[in-house]
Amino acid sequence: MATRISDYAARSRDAIRDQPQVRTAVTGATVAFDEKRRRAYGEVDADAWRRWAEAVKNHLLTHLDDYLAEAEARLEANGAQVHWARDADEAREIVLGLASRLSVRSVVKGKSMLTEEVELNPALERAGIEVIETDLGEYILQLLDEPPSHIVGPAIHKKLEQVQELFADRLGTDPGGDPDELARAARGVLRDAFINADMGITGGNFLVAETGTVALIENEGNIRLTTSLPRVHVALVGIEKLLPRMSDLAGFLQLTTRAATGQPIGCFVSLVQGPAAHPGDDGPEEVHVVLVDNGRTDVLLHENAWEALRCVRCGACLNICPVYRQTGGHAYGWVYSGPIGSVLDPGLLGLHEAMPLPFASSLCGACFDACPVRIPIPELLLAWREEAQQEGLTPWKERTALSALAAAATRPPLYRLAGKLGTRVGATRAARSLPMLRDWSRDRDPPRPSPRTFRDLWRKGIK
Amino acid sequence: MSGPTAPNRREPHGDGPRARARILARVTRAAALRDRLPHPGRLDTPVPPDPVATFVNRFTSQGGEVATPDPDRAPRDWLTTFLGELGAGIATIALGADVPPGLQPRLPGAAPAHADAGISMAWGAVAETGSLILPSTGTRAVQLLPPLHVVWIPADRVFARLEDALLEMVPTLPGSVGLHSGPSKSADIGQTVVTGVHGPGRCIAVVH
Amino acid sequence: MKVALFVTCLADHYFADAAVDAVRLLRHLGCEVTFPDAQTCCGQPAYNAGMSREAARMAHHTIDTFADCEAVVLPSGSCATMVKKFYPRIAADDRAVQAAALADKTFELGEFIVRRLGVTRLGDGLAGRRVAVHQGCHALRELRLEREPAVLLEGAGAEVVPWEAQDECCGFGGLFSVKMSAVSAAMADRKLDTLPRVDWVVSGDGGCMLHLDGRSGARGCGVEFVHLATALWRGVDGHPD
Ligand code: SF4
Repeated sequence: MATRISDYAARSRDAIRDQPQVRTAVTGATVAFDEKRRRAYGEVDADAWRRWAEAVKNHLLTHLDDYLAEAEARLEANGAQVHWARDADEAREIVLGLASRLSVRSVVKGKSMLTEEVELNPALERAGIEVIETDLGEYILQLLDEPPSHIVGPAIHKKLEQVQELFADRLGTDPGGDPDELARAARGVLRDAFINADMGITGGNFLVAETGTVALIENEGNIRLTTSLPRVHVALVGIEKLLPRMSDLAGFLQLTTRAATGQPIGCFVSLVQGPAAHPGDDGPEEVHVVLVDNGRTDVLLHENAWEALRCVRCGACLNICPVYRQTGGHAYGWVYSGPIGSVLDPGLLGLHEAMPLPFASSLCGACFDACPVRIPIPELLLAWREEAQQEGLTPWKERTALSALAAAATRPPLYRLAGKLGTRVGATRAARSLPMLRDWSRDRDPPRPSPRTFRDLWRKGIK
Repeated sequence: MSGPTAPNRREPHGDGPRARARILARVTRAAALRDRLPHPGRLDTPVPPDPVATFVNRFTSQGGEVATPDPDRAPRDWLTTFLGELGAGIATIALGADVPPGLQPRLPGAAPAHADAGISMAWGAVAETGSLILPSTGTRAVQLLPPLHVVWIPADRVFARLEDALLEMVPTLPGSVGLHSGPSKSADIGQTVVTGVHGPGRCIAVVH
Repeated sequence: MKVALFVTCLADHYFADAAVDAVRLLRHLGCEVTFPDAQTCCGQPAYNAGMSREAARMAHHTIDTFADCEAVVLPSGSCATMVKKFYPRIAADDRAVQAAALADKTFELGEFIVRRLGVTRLGDGLAGRRVAVHQGCHALRELRLEREPAVLLEGAGAEVVPWEAQDECCGFGGLFSVKMSAVSAAMADRKLDTLPRVDWVVSGDGGCMLHLDGRSGARGCGVEFVHLATALWRGVDGHPD
């Protein structure tokens, strides 16, 4: 998979310098999201809900073999067809195979990070199939040929003026058109797309094993339409998205939306069991569910990282994250950004490919407080850092310096000497010679040591 | 493309039995790494004392509207007048396949994509989340395409909690169920909330 | 009560006066202060970098150094967290009991005064001063010291002014501020840009202060940063400015 993760440090610097409007837009949107999340958590016993959700997902992930088999059997009993994809290639191949067998010329899509992950759109387009993103944010980004920058609000990094300009150019709207007018214009275009599409493609927020229900949460109604109007519906679902029972779904639908946008529930929830079941039932002729691994079993097999598979992709950790807020998602270089991206990407892609994301955090811990399934993101970041050090994926100077610190710190006289040399004698020279400290002083005034150390003052006596 | 299997052998199971077997084998191997943890049981969410009042409250706070028919008039006559008095220029309607004649307003019909209003039957509603439950035994295009969606919901079908409703539905689940909790909304353009993107811009629950 | 001061690297070298103020303050509150000479670094830089074996060596050294003390106080929220929360995670099995014992008797300065000594009223020395509080993330989210610094500052007469980005990370994060310097600086900017008009910004974490002060200086913001220990000592009745 092509990622641009490795130059995170440079690209985040560029983004902050060259695109100040992104930082303003992202900070504004995420602060607002986070406030709504806080209010929504405050209305319920959020602590108890989160502990419950954590336990349900832990149960699910430690019984995933049973539940996958149950989900498959239920879906097939419902008349849906189940496919298994080990990786992105297989996922694309399955969808392309269906499209060709069913003579699909036009596809409408509901927002799905998994289809971004497996790079489905370009593959469909290469096969000559028209693909239209129908979530308003995704539609904007499709026109701009940009990837989403946030898992819930894909276009939060765009300001109104940018959309005005884009729509004036592409849809002929008034350059000063208000959001209502712009949305109406997009609705017009997309309405035709829904009615003409042969296939609707979505992700899935949850898949209930007990009933074979693919659950999808949204606010616009585009996913309801995508799963209802075309003659074929294909849902790509990560294998970790299962829930054991329908009663679990009731809690997860509410908790996820509260965490994501602060709403009690999405304006629209689609519960898809399969195709039109019997005469009098309305809907697609065929429903296909593609169960996708693509690195998830690697994560599940990892000693620590498996906990990241509890993630319900609510975006709460992105919204509260002070690191994410400075750049938005693009700087991270792959589909999953922010705190969850920094712990999930190393698992899905391999740590080497995802460097330096585990280090793209100040470990402030805010994400854990927001996460509805209590993923210990700071601990997982540390676990990945540990692995990175052991595999030699960090600069050797850094490792050597820290080893030296540890060696000195267990020998007090040496430590005292090194401390004095480091802060007083060496500080200015070090600042010039060590690239690490050069970066620090590029953005900040250098620290000024106290004239005398506390240790000296203590020896002299404190009155 | 990975794997030597010919594409036509992958239908309908993708890479077929091999992908399935391999994924399940890895999942089982992972399960052996740690204790199999127990299910925590049901999540207890508070039970609203007056489900109908709570439904009305939540549904309207999410932008939905609620109407109550005049008990002295035939429901279809009341709805005909009601739609006329909305001032929304409702001239044509699209009817869900399951709307009984007694609940059909006396207005000319039109295809869902062109009708001014869609009329549907809810299977039930949920107080806790302010949601209408719309099964696919109705007509999905009617529930989604017209700018106004009017939904009949019997007061005795309002469930207190989402879980109660979902569990009651389990034995007879249709192909698809939509939970509609207010009008269609988006904040994707400049973080400003707009209504009526894709789905209906107005949703009126008629509690009868 | 006998209290051992664990001064921490940054306070020893960059906030020596604040550490002196911490000693005076503790004495003023009736404690006998000791300074175990063998103390070094708590190991946090190594731990945060993912070198927990090195960090564990430092933890073991610290555990031994403070083994016989009745209480240990640090003028640093993040180092206090290292001892209280992370030592028990990384200590070798045969040190687990001592690690837990040290965790139990270790306190961040403000935490010690409010929770252990039960003191919230220090005097009127800060009357008329408007201050904003930056609580380091570890103190805030690991030790849950949400109100302690404000309570003490108010208990010394200061007016604690609400700050939009009060609970947000300043962007220091040790190695993070070096590796991801631009993002780190932008995080400081968010703190500085939302800062209300105050006389001082008070913090119990030297790392955050060096970083915020350095950024504020580079941008010419002219904000005065004061360590919690210094602010509180000035707050004690009758203590001259
Ligand atoms: S890690 Fe937690 S907070 Fe972040 S997206 Fe996943 S579920 Fe939401």
